Amino acid sequence: MVKLVLASPIAVATQGQREIDVEFEGTLGQLFDLLTNMYGRQFQQRIFEGNGSLKRFVNVYINGEDARYLNGLETPVPRDATIDLLPAIAGG
Amino acid sequence: MGYVRGLRCRECGAEYPPTRLSVCEQCFGPLEVAYEISAVRESFRREALASRPRDLWRYRELLPVFDESARVDLQPGFTPLRRGRNLEEVLDLQEVWIKDDTVNPTYSFKDRPVAVAVAKAREWGLPAVGCASTGNLAAATAAAAAKARLPCYVFAPASLEPTKLLLPRIYGATLVPVDGTYDDANRVALLTADARGWGFVNINLRPYYAEGSKTLVFETWEQLGFDLPDVILTPLGSGLLLTSVDKGLRELRELGEIDGAGPRLVGTQPDGCAPIVRGFESPDGRPRPVRKPETIAESLAIGDPASGFEAIEIMRRTRGFGDAPSDAEILEGQKLLAQTEGVFSEPAGGTTIATLRRARADGRIDRDERVVLFITGNGLKAPGIWKDAFPPLAPVPPTLAAVDAYLGGTRHG
Repeated sequence: MVKLVLASPIAVATQGQREIDVEFEGTLGQLFDLLTNMYGRQFQQRIFEGNGSLKRFVNVYINGEDARYLNGLETPVPRDATIDLLPAIAGG
Repeated sequence: MGYVRGLRCRECGAEYPPTRLSVCEQCFGPLEVAYEISAVRESFRREALASRPRDLWRYRELLPVFDESARVDLQPGFTPLRRGRNLEEVLDLQEVWIKDDTVNPTYSFKDRPVAVAVAKAREWGLPAVGCASTGNLAAATAAAAAKARLPCYVFAPASLEPTKLLLPRIYGATLVPVDGTYDDANRVALLTADARGWGFVNINLRPYYAEGSKTLVFETWEQLGFDLPDVILTPLGSGLLLTSVDKGLRELRELGEIDGAGPRLVGTQPDGCAPIVRGFESPDGRPRPVRKPETIAESLAIGDPASGFEAIEIMRRTRGFGDAPSDAEILEGQKLLAQTEGVFSEPAGGTTIATLRRARADGRIDRDERVVLFITGNGLKAPGIWKDAFPPLAPVPPTLAAVDAYLGGTRHG
């Protein structure tokens, strides 16, 4: 089971749901495809730029590692991984 | 709501009432406080400022606290602006000023943004406050929370200088020493604040927190006789100080208090963690995140700076620049400031001095430019970096002969 945790500002993309458990195997990009199926185009438009890249105001972490330091959307998501979607505008 | 109009997204321009939003609901971009400038203009007058308290609340019209009783009475701000005549001589400059924020209540500029953020936490009746910190913010938040009688939770890298981990605990905060970088601490702090409903000053109170820092430029303007320098040098961690300074200048311009192009804004980071400076140097203007910062300038060791894009845009727009000296240059910068002007800064200040020195050497700053240096933290918080440069000395026997032998032939006059 993959566990998604969305910070409350980001949860507008998932109709307010902040914790989502899904049976899933694949890449981070494929996981977001699944979420787009679950939550509609609203999710895609909130999280992605028009060119398909992640918005720079959303940080994605796979088991605590920033996806940008891994392989971005191509990163394989381990079974039982925790994925955090957090606002990039924080800290300092 | 006083003089506050609301919150405005710096990215997409969406506007909101001044509530507990931390980022834009439309694009997740950064929010800033917008003011009713025409109302501010009525009472924010030069002659009125003179008789006000000598702390940051003297600029109250442009600080988003509605309930005066919510303020925490630690009196941060209105720190000295010192003329650096010895530094001028060494670096061949006509006019240098040191904005000395090493003397704030907890010895860094962070007392400014915390004053506003903790006041908002009190206004909203939040049960606890906290922060993610590279060191200085931890002490500032903990001290303000103590005075406000609020529980406080600070998240910081466990590897910080011991003094920076000690201070928040002395002020009574709960320290969470995170086994990782600042960015790791920031991530878990964000998750914790979100899950528990606490007010973390630089996370979910960030739009208000940012407002406190701009008082550095208001004070500079007032202390220079309602005038501005040609260049402002400031260290960059997340970039938020620079964006706040730029906002303060924008507000002074909207009020009609200043005109012209305004100061060049120069940002400096250590070479071992320079995501914003490297972005400034790149054609695309995108920050270059640093996974594992390696520098003695711990307070600037933010690998993924939240305000990096904006800071780069501001440095370019104001004809400033970014610069990244080495740790060795930073230590030399700290020594130079201490030994010419009697101001002992932490490495962030040494970074600023090092950049000034480098910019004089290669002409990025001209001799006749009036320069203000923001010296944002006190050197006593980071003593550990000096053990090689200043090793312990062997005790000298208390006799004149021993002292003569120790001093050798040194004569003065």
